[in-house]
Amino acid sequence: MKKITLLLIAITAVALSAFKLVDSTPKIANTTEDVAPKGYAIGDEASDFNLKNIDDKMVSLANYPNAKGFIITFTCNHCPYAVAYEQRIMDLDAKYASLGYPVIAISPNDPALVPEDGMDEMKKLASTKGYTFPYLLDEKQEVYPLFGATKTPHIFILHKENGKNIVKYIGAIDNNYANPDDVTERYAEDAVNALIAGTDIKVTTTKAIGCSIKDSRNKK
Amino acid sequence: MKLNALIAFVFLLSSATHRTAIPPVRASVNYDQLKEIIEKNDNKLYVVNFWATWCRPCIEELPHFVEVSSAYENQAPFQMILVSLDKAELLETDVAQMITKLHIDNDVYLLDDNKRMNYWISAVDSTWSGAIPATVFYKNGQKLHFTEGQLTKEELTAIIQQHL
Repeated sequence: MKKITLLLIAITAVALSAFKLVDSTPKIANTTEDVAPKGYAIGDEASDFNLKNIDDKMVSLANYPNAKGFIITFTCNHCPYAVAYEQRIMDLDAKYASLGYPVIAISPNDPALVPEDGMDEMKKLASTKGYTFPYLLDEKQEVYPLFGATKTPHIFILHKENGKNIVKYIGAIDNNYANPDDVTERYAEDAVNALIAGTDIKVTTTKAIGCSIKDSRNKK
Repeated sequence: MKLNALIAFVFLLSSATHRTAIPPVRASVNYDQLKEIIEKNDNKLYVVNFWATWCRPCIEELPHFVEVSSAYENQAPFQMILVSLDKAELLETDVAQMITKLHIDNDVYLLDDNKRMNYWISAVDSTWSGAIPATVFYKNGQKLHFTEGQLTKEELTAIIQQHL
């Protein structure tokens, strides 16, 4: 009996040390995991927020009891990609707000780092462009990390289910920032159309190049 | 006779310097072409930096990249490649001006493959959200490291030292 116990201990020790060996090998290929952005995944419930709008009033998702969902758009004044999408963000609101999916735009940048993204400049842009949707400033920069937004523009489409705002799509508006006339994939529209039709969203996450969010805490 | 030798020597010297001073590449490529350039089986460490003229953190870090690159090139199997994500039509204007302004003598490719971003961003690295700057390190077609965000001169040097 003692011999068996000793044998078991020996086997366990060998197994454990082997495990440790494997574990201690340098993880060169895995270093990328350290920077994996945190935030919402598809199917997660998005928390509500309370941010100041360009009319100086506070806006929350709870202010929209009749909405069926939201097109949350992290965007800003200064980024050329955001500028390229200004009209298309307005078009999304024009098309989908009346169908229950309004655009809520949020500027995530620290105006101390990018003065063009300050509240006064946001007010000017919204007025010049004739924005029909809220354009909120994430003043404390607490909302964008919660969503996991990393760049502008960055879209999160939410769907209201049993009073909860469920994340259904994360990514780009379409597949051609440079030329709206040569867009062949309308990711955001396809996602909202699927929600309206009650069908599955075919492409739930996409990627596009964007301007990194300017936050002094990210500076090394 | 001495004069002839001198002329021959000067000729040889000038042709030798001429050969080493190959002008850096400046060209538009799609992702498949870029992949062939950066994933070569030649034992070289490729440092590939994605940037754009409009990207402030990119322009902030580029001088460090140029400096580190000149310290390593010709001393080690090493090549730095800068990949601009500017609009294709800006290659000879905005991009060229920035190359001059920052004294960049590395190969610069403009990645003109807009409509396939959703494909190639993940192909470069599955964790890359698409924000720039971003830097990826390859050797013999193997990806060794990826960083989304700025790298300091010290961080860049440390990663190169680790993988040379």
